[in-house]
Amino acid sequence: MIEATRRRNRYSANLLTYAVLVAIALMTVLPFVWMFFTSLHERNAQLPTMGNLFTPEGWHFENYLYVLTFGELPVWRFAVNSVIVTAGVVVFQLVLCSLAAYGFARLRFPGRDLIFLAFLLTMMVPAQVLIVPLFALVHNLRWLDSYWGLIIPYPYLSTAFGTFLLRQFFLTVPRSLDDAARLDGCGDAGILWHVILPSSKPALATVGAFAFIWTWTDFYWPLLASSSTTMRTLEVGLSVFSDAYGGTRWPLQMSAAVIVLVPALLFFLIMQRFFVRGIARTGLKG
Amino acid sequence: MKRSHRINWRGYLFLAPATIYLTVFSVVPILLAGYMSLHRWHLLKPDRPYIGLDNYKALFANPFFINAIRNSFVYVLASVPLGVITALAVALLVVRPLRGVGVFRTLFYVPAVCSQVAMAMVWIWILMPEQGLINYAVGLMNEALAGLGLAHLGSIPTSTNFLNEPGWAMAALVVMSLWIGLGPRMIIFVAGLQSIPQQLYEAASLDGCTGRRRFWHITLPQLAPTTLFVTVTTTIAAFQLFTPVYMMTKGGPQRTTDVVLYHIYKEAWQKFELGMASAQSYVLLAMIVVIAAIQLWVLRRGLTTEEAR
Amino acid sequence: MRRLTRYFTGVFAMSLAGLLVGCGEHHDRDEVVLRVANWGSPAVESSFMKLEREIWTEFEALHPGVRVQIEQIPGHGQYVPKLIMMHASGSMPDVIHLDASSAAVFIDNGVLRDLTPFIARDPDFHLDQYFKEVVEIARRDDRLYAIPLDFTPMVMYYNKTLFDNAGVAYPKVGWSWDDFLDKARRLTIREEGAERPRQFGFNFENVMPFWVLWLWTNGGDVLDPTGTRATGYFNSPASVEAMQFLVDLMTRYHVAPTLADRAAEGVDLFLDGRAAMDLKGHWMMIDYRARGLDVGLVPLPTNGQDPTTVIYEAGLAITANARHPDIAWDYIKYVTSEDVQRRRVASGLAISGNKLAAAHFAGDPVEDAFLQIVRYGRPPWGARVERYPACEDLGREMMEDIQYAHVPVPYAMTRTAKLMDALVKVP
Repeated sequence: MIEATRRRNRYSANLLTYAVLVAIALMTVLPFVWMFFTSLHERNAQLPTMGNLFTPEGWHFENYLYVLTFGELPVWRFAVNSVIVTAGVVVFQLVLCSLAAYGFARLRFPGRDLIFLAFLLTMMVPAQVLIVPLFALVHNLRWLDSYWGLIIPYPYLSTAFGTFLLRQFFLTVPRSLDDAARLDGCGDAGILWHVILPSSKPALATVGAFAFIWTWTDFYWPLLASSSTTMRTLEVGLSVFSDAYGGTRWPLQMSAAVIVLVPALLFFLIMQRFFVRGIARTGLKG
Repeated sequence: MKRSHRINWRGYLFLAPATIYLTVFSVVPILLAGYMSLHRWHLLKPDRPYIGLDNYKALFANPFFINAIRNSFVYVLASVPLGVITALAVALLVVRPLRGVGVFRTLFYVPAVCSQVAMAMVWIWILMPEQGLINYAVGLMNEALAGLGLAHLGSIPTSTNFLNEPGWAMAALVVMSLWIGLGPRMIIFVAGLQSIPQQLYEAASLDGCTGRRRFWHITLPQLAPTTLFVTVTTTIAAFQLFTPVYMMTKGGPQRTTDVVLYHIYKEAWQKFELGMASAQSYVLLAMIVVIAAIQLWVLRRGLTTEEAR
Repeated sequence: MRRLTRYFTGVFAMSLAGLLVGCGEHHDRDEVVLRVANWGSPAVESSFMKLEREIWTEFEALHPGVRVQIEQIPGHGQYVPKLIMMHASGSMPDVIHLDASSAAVFIDNGVLRDLTPFIARDPDFHLDQYFKEVVEIARRDDRLYAIPLDFTPMVMYYNKTLFDNAGVAYPKVGWSWDDFLDKARRLTIREEGAERPRQFGFNFENVMPFWVLWLWTNGGDVLDPTGTRATGYFNSPASVEAMQFLVDLMTRYHVAPTLADRAAEGVDLFLDGRAAMDLKGHWMMIDYRARGLDVGLVPLPTNGQDPTTVIYEAGLAITANARHPDIAWDYIKYVTSEDVQRRRVASGLAISGNKLAAAHFAGDPVEDAFLQIVRYGRPPWGARVERYPACEDLGREMMEDIQYAHVPVPYAMTRTAKLMDALVKVP
């Protein structure tokens, strides 16, 4: 009897959870529905109204073709650049951050906390002003218009952010695991690789995800760091549909936005597996 | 445990790559900006006289900069607590082993994956009077009320010009930040929740500790490092609000959304006063440091888990 | 974990490969690379971009060993900052497109080369082929910093269909504010009980570069002739009167959309065929033609003054640190030449700065009407005053204050003039 009541309670609690989740999902997704339908309007059409959003004069799927072939822009090249730059930044940041985070979370040495605060400080300075010295630096390194310049000095993505996040997660890995590994003859590098990293997979995936979205969707740094068309990322390369004077081709602009968004979404569906496996492994109960 | 009390010089080795990197690409530019802030610095004029602290004196006498500071604080005070709490609440929902939560997690993440520029354009539509999503929904609600014979309750106007009414514009930016930031913050909380050792819950349920008490006594304390992280980084990001303002409100209406970073941008690229813009950046930095220090102090339990364990 | 590692190793290897490819491409030693910066064409047709590419290829064919590298800087307000950073760091392109409305910061800070020596030693180049009003925009004393590529004066467009439907006569050269208001009233269609008119007489957009001319057509101005002071000019009786007239169009007569109306509509009402008149430049012809709008155009209505208008121009300039100034000069000469220009402006984007090219379109009523208006054109303040774009921001904010916060016009203008003074005064 009690068992049955509990099951019923759980059932209704789940139902409520689903209701809330669906409501939030609607809020996050509706704008993208609008984005998609707007992209199907005639390419010279103005901003659609609620009245004609779902009933345009014809469905203009060819807008996507138009965007992809606009002025013979090398869209494939843009896409390859985006992948290279994003992957480069993600890997670079993951390596740098996990090493530093291990130092901060596990090792004891003079000045550690001071250095950690200095790390945090670098996150707090806005890029608006740093961009000037940074641009000059990248120029002097002869990195402008190269992948080095696009990947290495990524000003918005702070290494401090990733280090901070990983440090916070490394702290929660029980130290008894370290000691066990040490007994097995592992050094610090071994502990990081065999103990800490495997048990911080969700955190690594999170840092990777952050690096990914910042880089994939960023406009300003790739715009500054690249000059020639062949070094453009998707986000910058496809930004030609809103001009410098505020004029906008809504349907084309939205087609371009969808084109940039879809690969990123696919990537997240893949990443999702890592998050999910994290749950399955720890077997967290509701 | 003994081991952790010994000095481990290899620590420097682990820190070296990130530290060198940050020094070259962040600390040096920051120091250069500090140097610039002591000069009258126009990027194109060779004459860059040293003026001491004049830039700092001038910016505190500038009512528009003071106004921008106030706006930034309003935004931070509104968006950070709301952002952290909603993200935690949603994380607690999607961490439950329900069928299909993975799909929801991905869906909640979509706004963050989209470019900020495109997002700003979408939100311009959402917030439009009459045609916009919100006002349209209000219109539907009015019709529904009328349809149910409740027209006498009155109808809500559908002409609210969110981006042009003081008060509403800032509120709109806050809501937008919740919407965009929900996914990323939620993911961090999810990762944090997942790393809470399961044994703690098992031990607790043996002691008969369940439901709400379990949340307060186990989940929240164990989540302290995550909460600290999310709070501090959300605050920093909130102080650095820029793109939505630049794209959607241009600091208006009546300068109610003229936040510090937007002000700095105009100082640097419209007035070409890079020295002054640098000084303002340093003031912004000082504000963030103070607030972050307070947060680190209040949530200091999250800095180390030694006591908690 | 292993899968994650393998995955990332894979992408990393890919990116390394990419880096190598990228490096190989950028160092071709015997090739001269001529770097040209532009702000990206506005959203014109795909064919225009193809045409531009053809023009560059032709130039390359005429100059063996030269490769033209176009460096587009798209995005809201990114053009000027990036160029400034490039100049400051020594990575400036050889040629830049110079937007008249933000030209001063480049002209007055030694970023550009004086072109008069190039003109003097080039017998094939004739400056008198170009519109004098436009050439003068980039002049400082006897030095010249840009050759006009294309330009447009701001003109009053009217929708002939809407005029015909309402039985209103088309506007004519020499018309007055009173005529304008009368026509606008008769072209405004308002349904009983509707919140706002279904059709407006005039389309208003709060962009100061679009509305500053109203002050000029009343004998007012933004700054004094030296460009160092706004008080006494922006808040002069003539300026205030013009602004009051403009505001009255919206809030008193309601023949033009208020800022709130505009926000609610969210579209260009003139383009939508729901406003009868609009004050814009030549670039709008692309859209009007695409929409099949039957438009005519006239100079601005005036209040007893000349129908002074502003000329917005794209010029071509050689940078001070250009690596290949002589090739840059050849490039400018080629792109602004009669033949190339004729093909380029056929897109409808603007009027060619080259009079010979512009003459090819004589007989086209739209182009003829534009050419008639050029003589009333004057340079935008942004070509003379470095921080004028910041003043334009103040102007936009002022219009918002007047309409949303109901600040009285004279007071708003005096207050804004003071803020402008602080921006433009010589330190």
